[in-house]
Amino acid sequence: MSCHVAAERAERATAPPVLRLRARPLKIVLVGNPNVGKSVIFGRLTGRYATVSNYPGTTVGLTSGRALVGAEVCDIVDSPGVNSLQGELSEDERVTRRMIANREADVVVQVADARNLRRALMLTSQIAGFGLPTVVVLNMVDEARRHGIDVDAAGLAAELGVPVVETVAIEGQGLGDLRDALPLASPIRMPFNPSGDHAAWAHDAATRLRRSRPESIGRIQAFLSRAVRQPATGLPILAAVLYLVYLFVGVFGAQTLVNLVEHRVFGDYVNPAATALATRFVPWAAVREFLVGPYGLITMGLTYAIAIVLPVVATFFLVFGWLEDSGYIPRLAVFSDRIFRVMGLNGKAVLPMVLGLGCDTMATMTTRMLGTPKERLIAVLLLALGIPCSAQLATILGILGGISFWALLTLFGVVVAQMFVVGFLAAKVLPGDRSDFILELPPLRLPGWRNLGLKTLLRIRWYLWEAVPLFLVGTALLFTLDKTGLLPRIVAAGRPVVTGLLGLPAESAQVFIMGFLRRDYGAAGLFQLAHAGQLSATQAVVALTVMTLFVPCVANFLMIIKEQGIKPAFAILAFVTAVALSTGAGLHYAFWVFGVQF
Amino acid sequence: MPFGSSVSSFEGGRRLASLAVGERGVVRRVLRDNPARAERLMALGVTPGAHVRLLQRFPGFVFECDQTELAIEPSVARAILVEDES
Repeated sequence: MSCHVAAERAERATAPPVLRLRARPLKIVLVGNPNVGKSVIFGRLTGRYATVSNYPGTTVGLTSGRALVGAEVCDIVDSPGVNSLQGELSEDERVTRRMIANREADVVVQVADARNLRRALMLTSQIAGFGLPTVVVLNMVDEARRHGIDVDAAGLAAELGVPVVETVAIEGQGLGDLRDALPLASPIRMPFNPSGDHAAWAHDAATRLRRSRPESIGRIQAFLSRAVRQPATGLPILAAVLYLVYLFVGVFGAQTLVNLVEHRVFGDYVNPAATALATRFVPWAAVREFLVGPYGLITMGLTYAIAIVLPVVATFFLVFGWLEDSGYIPRLAVFSDRIFRVMGLNGKAVLPMVLGLGCDTMATMTTRMLGTPKERLIAVLLLALGIPCSAQLATILGILGGISFWALLTLFGVVVAQMFVVGFLAAKVLPGDRSDFILELPPLRLPGWRNLGLKTLLRIRWYLWEAVPLFLVGTALLFTLDKTGLLPRIVAAGRPVVTGLLGLPAESAQVFIMGFLRRDYGAAGLFQLAHAGQLSATQAVVALTVMTLFVPCVANFLMIIKEQGIKPAFAILAFVTAVALSTGAGLHYAFWVFGVQF
Repeated sequence: MPFGSSVSSFEGGRRLASLAVGERGVVRRVLRDNPARAERLMALGVTPGAHVRLLQRFPGFVFECDQTELAIEPSVARAILVEDES
């Protein structure tokens, strides 16, 4: 790895060092175009993992961590990718700009994709205007070389008057050079007239400093990229991908693993053991029941969370992470742009929507990448309404997979149709515009197992931390309602809606109470009802449809408040609940009129 | 940077949308009728002098600009003016 620090160091031996004793730690911010590897470098410097994926917009908001640079502990801040710091900015770009403009950071590390020098230099010219000490990192030099591109790092350092470091961050190459270069950071020397044309300078400098031979490798990449984005080959590939995901998550995860964990691990060992222990050591009947009764923390709460939902969530996170890192998901935007335009969005919306299949709460946060407030509102609404998260998919597949394929198709058909109708109407009714569809397609890559494993494990841990406590709270709530005699009253009060309107057994009212906490928890309750034979196939479809159309979970609702404000959030909640109930009623009526059986 | 708002003043040039699949060109300018769009394209590297190659027209436009693959809708492809590679 060549490094252009040494020469710089000699040149600057007399310059005052940036590092010295100070009241607060030196703050170093990583800035760069989307998908250039800022989060990888952040992880390498701080030892903290920030989610790394192969598409623009993975990092939302600022993440910070500590790193040792020389003898000094510094704050490192990972920022979302920015294409520009001037003119009309996205929310994320404003956050990054504020940080630099208000001098909240002491040093800027601009991370650049070595293959896209011109774009990086456009950004460099804008960073220069803020006058902060800067280091430029040329990342992914290995990929660039494979594409026949060489960047003259020394020339670039001379042009800008700042240290330039070459790295292959994913393999940890060049990170030592970066640490060495940080103390030498200095403001970018403006090689151009500040009021002049940045684009022309960037073009000229990139042309001078980049040597590119005609593409040598990248043939396979180009071939695959073409195959997945052209309809004739891309749609069959999409179908195959969905089918494989179904096999892995729906069959292996939701059936094989769930059976194993639910019947073997919990049915044969955990629950009998817990019951035996409770019988022996817990003298109070109420406490015993609280732990291992019908609404017991272990027999219900933990069984749902660990045995029914976890296997599916885990398998889903694994395939999902693989797809994320391969760069496949953004290519779906090419197909779906026209479809999303009907709903007042554009193809970019495919990213939050597909992410919603992982977790609606996180996806709600990524709606920030969309261009206009109207698009963000519609996307948040559609996520809350129709996109089932992995945990909920788990229970849907678990229940309906056992009934029939047509039941599954009916459920998804109704939900997708409902999203279309609501999206179409929202596009008409809500004020504002949609933005133009302009999306960068990241290079297709073979996912690295290390990042994939780490990401999956962290997501599973996140699920355990966030969802399991809610399952337990919900179970405790049900237990209390049951013991105080309130549950039968609520069931009775819900009867007109649950039995009359939706045609479901009265007991399913409690399932909807659970559904208010988390949809998947409610669906897990349905799973039990269905297994106990208390739910017919058509009733299961109606109940699951209503549950799917509900707001996903308390966490998601809190995120909607955070992203959209409290009033719109409650409006969304009321609207989504009304749509869910009326759709369920319509479906029940249609099944009855046409005598549908599954 | 060549500047201007009317298309008719642009002679001998074409729009990105009129390139055939596989055809190459050099960006002459981006129409400024929608400044936000023009700025976003510029930030993605679609600036005068950039070499482009059209990769796909249907169901949406995909083109290559330097080492970046960009997907755009037809109206955006019509706002990018290109000339033949010299």
